[in-house]
Amino acid sequence: MDYKYIEQLMERYWNAETTLEEESILRSFFRQENIPAEMEPLRALFADEASSQQLGDDFDARILEMIGKEEAPKVVKAREVSLTRRMMPLFKAAAVIAIILTIGGALQAPWDNNWNTPQDYARFQQDLDSVAAVSPIQAENMSDNADSTSILMERPKN
Amino acid sequence: MVSFQTDILPLKNELYRLALRITMNAAEAEDVVQETMMKVWNRRDQWEQIESIEAFCLTICRNLSLDKVRRMDNQTQSLDAAYDPKDQHVASNPEEQAIQSDRIQLVRELINQLPEKQRSCMQLRDMEGKSYKDIATILDITEEQVKVNIFRARQTIREKFKKFL
Repeated sequence: MDYKYIEQLMERYWNAETTLEEESILRSFFRQENIPAEMEPLRALFADEASSQQLGDDFDARILEMIGKEEAPKVVKAREVSLTRRMMPLFKAAAVIAIILTIGGALQAPWDNNWNTPQDYARFQQDLDSVAAVSPIQAENMSDNADSTSILMERPKN
Repeated sequence: MVSFQTDILPLKNELYRLALRITMNAAEAEDVVQETMMKVWNRRDQWEQIESIEAFCLTICRNLSLDKVRRMDNQTQSLDAAYDPKDQHVASNPEEQAIQSDRIQLVRELINQLPEKQRSCMQLRDMEGKSYKDIATILDITEEQVKVNIFRARQTIREKFKKFL
């Protein structure tokens, strides 16, 4: 290596005229195993002290623990949930199923009344009559309807 | 996205060296780095707006170090507990090794005798390889002032170093 160049760089270094790149050239030069004896004293200026000035892993652990402690109350919010509260969705589902079964059963009932025998049908007719008796307005309407049908039926004869 | 574990925690050694250069005390320097980390963590809502998180951390670290030094001066605490790291031996024979380690010790003392601003500038430039612009941001001074501080620091070291050789 050209030592003249290093000497020039050193001169510029002292005058704060070197660039970062030139300073890094000086650093790598003075960290070499073999350099001229007259330059040996300057080695100390570029000694690698960084590797001996470090914080251990226990420092990281301590910091992360401190941060974790601070963050914990914000993130983890324990809430007590009672058994009834926890079962709520289940209760809701059960209620919905019960409603569906009730309505379904009620809808199913009329189809179950299959008039297998004339007696059954007669009983059904009887029920209808009793309903008509209970509500006279409806019965009246029915008779009105009967009248209008009779009129309609008479017309084509004219 | 700035992450504490990947972007900030790994700065610990760089912060530690600056704190060490200013406080000249290993235990105090470690305290400073811890305080810096907590302070930066507490301002995590601002991370995304910060241009350089590294410069931001170094600025906080320097300010906390200066506070520490002021408090230490008030307590008239001696610097007997000053840090004395193991020297990096480069030379091969024991005699040269001893001389070399003496010289490293000498350089360290010479730098430590400089005014704080010169010391911090020199630390960031020569040890951490920072540009004048970055140092100016960290120390909140102009680039010209950084250059002047580095010039004076190197001139002083040169003069004193010559006497010991």
